[in-house]
Amino acid sequence: MKALEINGITKVFRDKKAVDGISFQVEKGKIFGILGPNGAGKTTTLRMIAGVFHPDDGEIIILGENSPEKVQNKIGYLPEERGLYKKMKIIDQLIFFAELKGVSNSIAKERALYWLSALDAKEWANKKVQELSKGMQQKVQFLATFLHEPELLILDEPFSGFDPINVEVFKQVLLDLKSQGKTILLSTHIMEQAEQLCDDVCLINNGKVVLSGSITEIKSSRQMDTVLCEFTDGKQLPQLEGVKILNKTQNRIEFRFDPSSFNFREFVKKLAENVDIKKIELSAPSLREIFIDEVTKGGK
Amino acid sequence: MKSKFFTIAKRDYLAIVKSKSFIIATILIPIFWFAIIVVPGVLTAIFFQQTEMKIAIVDKTNKGIGKEIVASDPTAFFIEFSSENQLNKKILDGELEAYLVIDDESLKNNHVIVYTKGGGGIGFLAKIDKVVGKTFRKKLLFEKGLDTALIKQIESDVKVETRKVTQEGIKKDYSEFYSFFGYFAGIILFMLIFLYGGFVMRGVVEEKANRIVEILLSSVKPFDIMLGKVVGLGSVGLTQILIWLVLFAIISLFSGQIISLFITPQPSQSSISTGLAQQNPFPANFKIPPIPLEFFVFFIVYFLFGYFLIASIYAALGSAVDQEQDAQTLIAPINFIFLIPVFLISLMIANPNGTIPTLLSLFPPFTPVLMVARMSSTSVPLWQLLLSVVLMLLFIWLSVHISAKIYRIGILIYGKKPTLKEIFRWLRQA
Repeated sequence: MKALEINGITKVFRDKKAVDGISFQVEKGKIFGILGPNGAGKTTTLRMIAGVFHPDDGEIIILGENSPEKVQNKIGYLPEERGLYKKMKIIDQLIFFAELKGVSNSIAKERALYWLSALDAKEWANKKVQELSKGMQQKVQFLATFLHEPELLILDEPFSGFDPINVEVFKQVLLDLKSQGKTILLSTHIMEQAEQLCDDVCLINNGKVVLSGSITEIKSSRQMDTVLCEFTDGKQLPQLEGVKILNKTQNRIEFRFDPSSFNFREFVKKLAENVDIKKIELSAPSLREIFIDEVTKGGK
Repeated sequence: MKSKFFTIAKRDYLAIVKSKSFIIATILIPIFWFAIIVVPGVLTAIFFQQTEMKIAIVDKTNKGIGKEIVASDPTAFFIEFSSENQLNKKILDGELEAYLVIDDESLKNNHVIVYTKGGGGIGFLAKIDKVVGKTFRKKLLFEKGLDTALIKQIESDVKVETRKVTQEGIKKDYSEFYSFFGYFAGIILFMLIFLYGGFVMRGVVEEKANRIVEILLSSVKPFDIMLGKVVGLGSVGLTQILIWLVLFAIISLFSGQIISLFITPQPSQSSISTGLAQQNPFPANFKIPPIPLEFFVFFIVYFLFGYFLIASIYAALGSAVDQEQDAQTLIAPINFIFLIPVFLISLMIANPNGTIPTLLSLFPPFTPVLMVARMSSTSVPLWQLLLSVVLMLLFIWLSVHISAKIYRIGILIYGKKPTLKEIFRWLRQA
């Protein structure tokens, strides 16, 4: 079952097409990532899905309805630029946002207190937003997006601004929500996060979809052209010609090659003669590499 | 399901009403108004014609005018027999502040010259004017053979008292008080409308600048956000006005006692103090005259109307900018239109039943301020009040409708500050 069907949505600002006929579908209960470089149209796309503004053209079918306004209470939206009332108490703020989603005052309060203590933040309840650090505000904002137990979460760059510990905390929250059958649509430009978290992704650039599908599908469609190799001493590495070095340290090298001109078996042989190999791995390119391929291809 | 519009209104209401600044302002504003309205009046009344300067009188006539002047105010005047050269020296030495020369010519031409080191203040001149003038007039009339009783009658001012005819019979009318009251009621209404309109604009800009509005837009229809804000903050204004009305009612019950605390009855032995009693707007037994209940009802109704009009326009313009300062240039032309009635209040009070005042007070942007001023100065016919209500409602409907369209577009546009012209172009897109 589809939680979301996007058919050819377009949004024009002044003369620029921010989103140019984007289509994709999100399965219910999956985590779907919208990937793309800065200015690709991710935020505009998410805003249209969240109902912040209407597309100029195209169709959004969301939770079975043809307009986000009809399912506002079933959507949770985390905008890219976070915003809270500076002078309002955290608890009042959380209750307010939940009430706007049709949750009663008492239930909203109960859930807000539950989540604040679950996140070790109970003592913040009566603090004002302006007294909190950026990271804490971020947590509050995140809570506000799902206190009303939405069926679909729309998260724009959900982890930006979090330290690695909180990134893990909220990844776990998202995975828990997923296991409860919630659908999550998120945008990110950090590919590693998408790779770890998302079932399906859609890569957009210049307002258009350049690639979409499940992560396993996308990766398996690529040639195995990425080598990761660890060894004890890298001083006598064989000459590497016609490869793209992704990462190189004293005892580790990661690179991609062009299969038409590079012989992997030859390379391994040479390598074994020169260094002590601890680990060698041939794999499909990372999502990050695929992303860069697609974006630079599109740019040409 | 509870309306989301109500949730927004409730938040905006509580955000202000629970704040310390609201409580402080509710207490301080009446004190401030009292201070600017009553205190200068009382001070002028007390100190007008008051001076601490001692004035020497050089009387070159042999009619005893100098003595009479001294008799009417011995605290300020005294007779001096030195020559003018000696007096000039005394002034330069600082021993004397001022002297006044009276000769036969002065009496004939009604003209005296005062010599000072320079300046002296309005109270000083007013005192000389009053006392010398009065003495001269008396003298002239006396010389023409009028008797003292007649002179006294001529000298006293005519007292005008007003009575109004009502269904219940003849009643005491407090025309002056009501005009005075109408003037301040109009200005207070104007200030309140702009104060609360300003809250709406600030609120809209805050939500936009903090990007809260994106979450709001994903939860509530833009029209409900705007209207919720306008209604919530308007309710704050209503709360404040009701608090003030209760305070006002309590104060007017005890107004006599309260005012007598500030103004002690004047001793009446000198002619100066009788002059003072005429100047004093609050006689010792003053009571705030009764103000009809419907005045308060319409005060509140017109506050709400004026507020809705301004607040919806401010919300629209606030939505178009990224920060509050940018809004100032956009609202300036709007403010100008709404400021005009403040300058027309005196026209309403001077001639509350005239055709032009009536027409002006029916023009919706002017109605709240002008109708309140007119209502306190005269009894405005019911049909005019009802017509003004209908016209205002139409105008508000139009303004809210247009503002909502602008708001919907403006609230998501960041970056360049639009001009009024561009904002009107959005209307065609919407």
